[in-house]
Amino acid sequence: MGGLSRLVAVAANTFRETVRERVLYNLVFFAILMTLSGLLLGQLSIRQDEKVLKDIGLAAMDFFGTLIAIFIGVGLVSKEIERRSLYPLLAKPLSRGEFFLGKFAGLVFTLLVNIAVMTLGLYATLLATGRGADPGLLAAIYPIFLGLVLVVAFAMLFSTLTSSALASVLTVGVVLAGRFSDVVRNMREVLPAVPTWVVDGLSAVIPNFRNFDFKDRVTYGDPVPGDVLLWVTVYAAVYVTIVLGLGLASFRSRDFQ
Amino acid sequence: MAEPSPLLTRGLSKSYRVGHIRQSLHPALIDLDLEVRRGEILGYVGPNGSGKTTTLKLLTGLLKPDGGEAWVFGQPLESRAWRHRMGYLPEHPYLYDYLTPSEYLDYAGRLFSLPAPVRRKRARELLALVGLERSTRVPMRRFSKGMVQRVGLAQALINDPELLLLDEPMSGLDPLGRRLVRHLILDQRKAGKTVLFSTHILSDAETLCDRVAVLRAGRLVQVGALGEMLRPDVAHMEVLVEGPGSGLPEIEGEMRREAVGDRTRLEVDEKALARVIVAVDAAGGRVLSVQPVRQSLEEHFFQEMGGDDGGGNSWEG
Repeated sequence: MGGLSRLVAVAANTFRETVRERVLYNLVFFAILMTLSGLLLGQLSIRQDEKVLKDIGLAAMDFFGTLIAIFIGVGLVSKEIERRSLYPLLAKPLSRGEFFLGKFAGLVFTLLVNIAVMTLGLYATLLATGRGADPGLLAAIYPIFLGLVLVVAFAMLFSTLTSSALASVLTVGVVLAGRFSDVVRNMREVLPAVPTWVVDGLSAVIPNFRNFDFKDRVTYGDPVPGDVLLWVTVYAAVYVTIVLGLGLASFRSRDFQ
Repeated sequence: MAEPSPLLTRGLSKSYRVGHIRQSLHPALIDLDLEVRRGEILGYVGPNGSGKTTTLKLLTGLLKPDGGEAWVFGQPLESRAWRHRMGYLPEHPYLYDYLTPSEYLDYAGRLFSLPAPVRRKRARELLALVGLERSTRVPMRRFSKGMVQRVGLAQALINDPELLLLDEPMSGLDPLGRRLVRHLILDQRKAGKTVLFSTHILSDAETLCDRVAVLRAGRLVQVGALGEMLRPDVAHMEVLVEGPGSGLPEIEGEMRREAVGDRTRLEVDEKALARVIVAVDAAGGRVLSVQPVRQSLEEHFFQEMGGDDGGGNSWEG
């Protein structure tokens, strides 16, 4: 029970940090700005205005959400290590596992609040411009959120292994490779010198972030079946568990010099 | 059955890897055998880089030892139960600058599972104790280094610990702050608590400690009561004289003479004191004060260690 309350304390403080550092506010502001831009573009289009608006809204959510996930995932964890603010905390009854998982929970909650605010912004824009509040959008937003949770897990893993600069580069690398996983798989066609085991290894290790992309499907009005969403959830859960487990093992074993 | 020592280490060792391409091991702490007794203030002294911070980080679990063992209140280091009875102030603490001191102490209290009313009460009391009662709602990003150090001390006391580990607690503090910390440490002893504090400022150790443990290049070279370590006999007498100026002749047993404004400060052998007073009087001067000078901790270590550890590390008086 004590362990859970300590984990919650770390999570709550992490969320408070993201709010106080005002980074979220700026990015939410930008997301709303993108949605408003979508509104203007929608007025210029003929018949496609609702689809364009949804497209831009979901793309902005994905883009800004990913930026936030990388920024806070790397920034807040590296800062704790580099500035040594965790020293007095880890000398208390707080275990390293509780700290690491509490940090993760706080970051995930931040992403949840962020994506919830953006979702409300998108629905408000749709309603304000006389279009319906399509609940089907949630079938695209939920997988986006799962993808962001996975990005945060990778960012935390890299933050425990290396400097914040390199951790950012590695996280961005994984996100890009995961979003263009077909390019990775077809790498040998472009670069035949690359050994097969490298391509196979990368394909096996890097998650396919396209699995979380239902934006086109939803904006065209195609429903996303529940079992597909369930499969995506399991896919994300397995990856997050593995990546977070590696991060936790690294965090537990490291010396804080 | 006797209660176990608050802190006991046997053969505690730690090395760091240095270098990038060709890595080698640099021993930071070598076979530390140390016992901290209940209710004492133990000064952990040594030049910069002698292994003081490494020891405290090993004891708080921030570093993992390469060898040896340690027990806190009789429990092995790996056990977490003793952490409820310990408080720790790291060297140059960085606390979350987006929080106010009250919020930070509340957070620290939550990690000890203290109930909310207790946390609020403790935070109020501790911030008053460290002289920050008027800054409880100011974000710490506006704090000076000394103010952060004071909050650091307050968080180390949030759980009313029986054992306090303080790493350079006077660092970054102004004279008032240093006096406050000195009183705070002495008050802890008065309340029956045990304090281990590291410092490279020997005068702090000399003022506060029941015993000192001296570390040099990662090895414990001496541990004991100051009275045992320092020679109790008077090294020389310091005499402050007014009046005679250059008219004062050289006196047998005089070791050093120095003009201080219109006064003269003499360092003389204890046995020559009577002769000095007579000579000053004969020259028309006046003896303002006579002070016996005993060997200080600093002088002791300069003598014992040649004033330097050979690695460019330095002491501060």
